[in-house]
Amino acid sequence: MIYISDKSKKLDTYDAIVIGSGISGGWAAMELCKQGLKTLLLERGRDVKHLQDYPTANLNPWDFKLGFNNTLEDRQRDPVQSNAYTPADKHFYVSDADHPYIQEKPFDWYRGYHVGGRSLTWGRQCYRLSDLDFGANLKDGNGVDWPIRYKDIDPWYAYAEKHIGVSGQKENLSQLPDGEYLPPMELNCIERHLSESIKKNDQHRLLTIARVANLTRGWDSRGPCQNRNLCSRGCPFGGYFSSNSSTIPAAMATGNLVLRPFSIVTEILYDEQKQKAKGVRVIDTITSEVHEFYAKIVFVNASTIATAGILLNSTSSRFPNGFGNGSDQVGHNLMDHHASAGASGAHDQFADQYYKGRRPCGFLIPRYRNLHDHENLGFTRGYNIQGHGERQEWSDKVNGLAGFGKDFKAQLSTPGPWTVWMAGWGECLPYYKNQVTLDHSQKDKWGQPLLKIDFAFEDNEKKMMDDIEATCGEMLEKAGFRDVATFNYHKRGGSTVHEMGTARMGHDPRTSVLNQFNQMHEAKNVFITDGSCMASSASQNPSLTYMALTARASHFAAEELKKGNL
Amino acid sequence: MDRRTYLKGIFAAGVLGTASFSLFKWFDLNKPIDASALWDKKALIAEMAEMIIPRTDTPGAKDANVHTYIINVILNCNPVRQQHKFYYGLEDLEKYAQDQYGKDFLKCDASQKQSILEHSAKNAEYSNRILNKINNKLLGQSFFSKLKSLTVEGYCLSMAGATQGLAYDYIPGKFEACIPLKPNQKSWATK
Repeated sequence: MIYISDKSKKLDTYDAIVIGSGISGGWAAMELCKQGLKTLLLERGRDVKHLQDYPTANLNPWDFKLGFNNTLEDRQRDPVQSNAYTPADKHFYVSDADHPYIQEKPFDWYRGYHVGGRSLTWGRQCYRLSDLDFGANLKDGNGVDWPIRYKDIDPWYAYAEKHIGVSGQKENLSQLPDGEYLPPMELNCIERHLSESIKKNDQHRLLTIARVANLTRGWDSRGPCQNRNLCSRGCPFGGYFSSNSSTIPAAMATGNLVLRPFSIVTEILYDEQKQKAKGVRVIDTITSEVHEFYAKIVFVNASTIATAGILLNSTSSRFPNGFGNGSDQVGHNLMDHHASAGASGAHDQFADQYYKGRRPCGFLIPRYRNLHDHENLGFTRGYNIQGHGERQEWSDKVNGLAGFGKDFKAQLSTPGPWTVWMAGWGECLPYYKNQVTLDHSQKDKWGQPLLKIDFAFEDNEKKMMDDIEATCGEMLEKAGFRDVATFNYHKRGGSTVHEMGTARMGHDPRTSVLNQFNQMHEAKNVFITDGSCMASSASQNPSLTYMALTARASHFAAEELKKGNL
Repeated sequence: MDRRTYLKGIFAAGVLGTASFSLFKWFDLNKPIDASALWDKKALIAEMAEMIIPRTDTPGAKDANVHTYIINVILNCNPVRQQHKFYYGLEDLEKYAQDQYGKDFLKCDASQKQSILEHSAKNAEYSNRILNKINNKLLGQSFFSKLKSLTVEGYCLSMAGATQGLAYDYIPGKFEACIPLKPNQKSWATK
């Protein structure tokens, strides 16, 4: 049985509520707390404390009885999540059986319901968007115009980078602006060779080391990165940025944070008289009690699909179609980058060279398509290439080596040829029909309607994938690689785990959900700064942009509150 | 179904037919495997794993207890059909030993064992080449391919294999991007 808590309303009232403790929610909580606001951070899953709740972080390969194979039960229970997790990081993924959703078309929705969310398992790539991206919708008419330009977010990118610590190399490119970087990670022999070849063959292309939130020196009492490449288990050295290692402890240190795990937000509550949000309704997953919490401002950072679900589930006479959804755009324009197409090859040079340590990142070839008008490639927008070089080791060799016995063993245990694998991370256009809806005929174990995801890549993305195959193959051929094979994995939507776009920013309340400060057009004290806000996807890994927009919106919200505007 | 897939199907059915594949066996393949029957083959699996990765100046598969790893992974992580395929593979191999040499595989001498495993390896290569994806999808990886890949995996992830058979760097600290290969340098155990 569930019942409404009768605690006094005063006890349950805060200055600000933040829904979700992942990469953007952690930032919102930290910034609001630092501005002196008493902040309630709600997380639907369990708590994960930095260092102490990383049970596999120090394990050796032989500590896993079944290696890195998932069990049959794992795969049956978690048909989606088990594609991403291994026994080493399974505890940072949800169980699909416990958290079902409906796939109208195949869509992988990877989730971690715990404090820190996917900031524990993220890929840590940190790239700025540029005006090529912010101006793209206006220019080619897809989606709606971004209400901001690069100059609006530039200082906030710097602010975010300086806090989290990003290692990287400045390259002075207009399509990929430089940021505030710690010393870069290093390219290995084959990557340097490919870099030189690309530079020689095409003046518009270059290969640079990935820009990542892995620390190349001590930063903010964390790190440096020890080059173990076991990041997704949680880092015992604090070698990379996560909510758990950084923003949540910083928020806690202000004395202004109340962190409440096991709290599923089902609705944002609307105050008809004041015409703004008054708080949220929460199910406590331990007691099954329903609570209401109240605040002057609400930040929604539940991740784009879940955020859309909360808005759509928050109906009132003012908002019969969902909270702040007068535009009917909430849940629509769902995007995910495609990262299916690319090429690989082997190289016979540098046979006497190797490396030591496991660098937790690869390289980047920044966008080189459609930088100028009239390139006539048959698709709009662009992609960047991410990849890595390495020497073949046992797991790469096992299928190719014939025979068995002494010679087999000797070949298996020595470094093989250098190889490079690289693929295009491509922009996905915002399509109204790619959407998240609620199915009220099916409920989860808390009686909440299931989310239904209807998503597909279209012609523009498919043509881009063909171009990625061709250009990747070409770059490797020109650099003297042999056995160059191009590929398209035709991965399912959601596979890149860059979902975004379901509550987009825009100038016009009739066609967008949020304004230029991530503030809801129709409820001024609600801010949405997770991936939902994205008006276009660009091709850059998006987390850094979410962090910068969150910091910017948090400061704006706190100022507006002080001015009495909220 | 497009024409190519259809033809592949006919081809697969034909080859499987000649490989004395019966309907009975098909139904049987969908029942769960008897775990204790597989554990009973532990010594046989250990012997073959050791032949794949023998003890040299570094530990071999037996030293690394790879047979236990193989059985655990087969039973817990492999689909039922793949489990059966593996088990039948063991039985076929034992039968082949009896047919060829009139004794159990484990009682055969080194050169007999060698030729039995070579026979199995040859069959695997043949079926990998001819049936490849179709066969893998219908029935799982061939017996010998499975045995070999699990032996490698179990060995390279084991303490003996990772730290002595290969080079294991628990906490590298620094990343050194380009360094000269040392004489007899082993490859890294983990990425």
